Amino acid sequence: MNASRFFPLGLALLLILSIANLVFGAVSLSLEQVWQGLSVGSEQHFTVYEYRLPRIFLAILVGAGLALSGALVQGVIRNPLASPDVLGVSHGAGLAAVFYMTYFAGASTDWLPEVALAGGLVAALILWWLCGAQSSAIKLAITGVALAAFWASCIDFLMLTKPLEINNALLWLTGSLWGRGWTQLQALLPWFLLVPVALGLSKYLNLLDLGDDSATSLGVSPQVLRLVSLAIAVALTAACVSICGPIGFLGLVAPHLTRKLVGGRHQALLPATMLTGACLLLAADLAARTIDPPIELPAGILTAIIGAPYFLWLLLRMK
Amino acid sequence: MLLSGLKRVGILLIGVLLATSSYAVTVQDSKGTFTIEETPQRIVVLEFSFADALASVGVKPIGIADDKDKSRVLPEVRDIIGDWQSVGTRSQPSLEVIASLKPDLIIADISRHEAVYDDLKKIAPTLILPSRRETYEDNLKAAAIIGKAVGKESEMQARLAQHETIMSDFASKLPNNALVQFAVARADDLFLHTDDSYAGGVISRLGLQMPKTERDDTASRQTSLEQLLAVNPEYLIVGHYTQPSIIEKWQSEPLWSVLQAASNEHIYSVNPNIWARCRGVMAAEHMAQDLVNIFTEQ
Repeated sequence: MNASRFFPLGLALLLILSIANLVFGAVSLSLEQVWQGLSVGSEQHFTVYEYRLPRIFLAILVGAGLALSGALVQGVIRNPLASPDVLGVSHGAGLAAVFYMTYFAGASTDWLPEVALAGGLVAALILWWLCGAQSSAIKLAITGVALAAFWASCIDFLMLTKPLEINNALLWLTGSLWGRGWTQLQALLPWFLLVPVALGLSKYLNLLDLGDDSATSLGVSPQVLRLVSLAIAVALTAACVSICGPIGFLGLVAPHLTRKLVGGRHQALLPATMLTGACLLLAADLAARTIDPPIELPAGILTAIIGAPYFLWLLLRMK
Repeated sequence: MLLSGLKRVGILLIGVLLATSSYAVTVQDSKGTFTIEETPQRIVVLEFSFADALASVGVKPIGIADDKDKSRVLPEVRDIIGDWQSVGTRSQPSLEVIASLKPDLIIADISRHEAVYDDLKKIAPTLILPSRRETYEDNLKAAAIIGKAVGKESEMQARLAQHETIMSDFASKLPNNALVQFAVARADDLFLHTDDSYAGGVISRLGLQMPKTERDDTASRQTSLEQLLAVNPEYLIVGHYTQPSIIEKWQSEPLWSVLQAASNEHIYSVNPNIWARCRGVMAAEHMAQDLVNIFTEQ
């Protein structure tokens, strides 16, 4: 499939999924009820306007943001198995969130996004400090994976020593869109100013695919490009994770799947991967809300169910 | 004549206004002052302890976050409130189902639902109180607040007074100062519920002793066999979430026989759902009855 067919199809799928998310749920509505629900004072106003609509926008933004971060990281590290997770950002954010939940049990959960955001950014800074600006892609990836494993083990330690808090922490750590609304959307939106910057890097990322030496001779500084791309990936991931928790595998699967469909040219790959990520998370959240109503599963479980086998299949094929 | 007529109408109007506004009830909840204008008729509760409090004064909630498993609600509570609509899990209740029930009061748990407090308030007036990790005393305070909020203040005070009598009556049937420890057993873990826990509070209320643990910073503590031996309670009350649980595994270990509860055969099973999840006036009475049964049977 080439890009000219991918985008109309992808956008159509996004639209269909968005409408499905408005219509279906623990309480299914007709299209007419959805339409009425958009106006204030109608019977379904809360369900449609306060609950489902912001959640759809959030799923689109978070899905797109995590997928774009994944594509940037894969482009820069030049490894199709890379994802924002290898930078330790989501685990760093997770550690900060779990630490906050266990040691400040009485504190307001309103501050959780800020704490997680700070955790994610600090984790990235630590990685940068350890590797330095001149490091190779492989050193960055290996250090990142090691740090991510370290943060993950700290999370496990906290949860084992403070078992009482496990429920809340686990819920956050699986990644969920439950209870997120317009407020969270507002907090997330400014970070998406980074998206045009990322798209502007497409041309240079293509050159990086030719190898560091070729890129340098064509007038691109691999180090600077790597730093800028990774910084954008880190910021977007940390912002998304701070709102919804680490939604697993999205940053890995979405760019990879899209690369298969539209090829590796970043001008097409970056916007296309955002579309794939948004569709995947919308579908996951729809399933999470409708599989066994009124029980709401965390969307992160659904993405993991799709993502983990895909990852295994990738590994087997790469042999 | 006309003037005095107007005056009379005015007084009447003021009287009517006063009468309607006197329905308004104000209580203190975990977020400050909570006011409700009318006696609520359609109540949704997001924890079992709140259902218990309502049932204690004969009020029937229309929706309960029951984890989609009605058997998790205390049988005594079920008998009183009949049927209800499940609104999903206690950890992530479905806000759209809650909204579809058109409640006029939601009772939420500050520990689990603070993050959606603003959303809940958009659906209906929301009373937010402690439930998860609450102590026995906290629970009684919350019940009193709920009673007032649903317009059953005097009934709730009477029920709480009756509860004191019932509990003291149970206490008189139990030996003073026996060392009793409640624990929840899963397949690979044993969690002791310490003095801070709800079950610990009920045990203390009944005049029994909780063994002193080394650390008491958490209400529920994961324990190894050796740590259990250090606590060494005279009576071990276990709620098995799975069967066989870790207790069966430990029974074959040499250390097990050194445990005084094991050597005296003072280990008893209770319903873990009622002992660890339910909480409430009626749940406490059920637990007390369980203990009396255990101590009179032996």
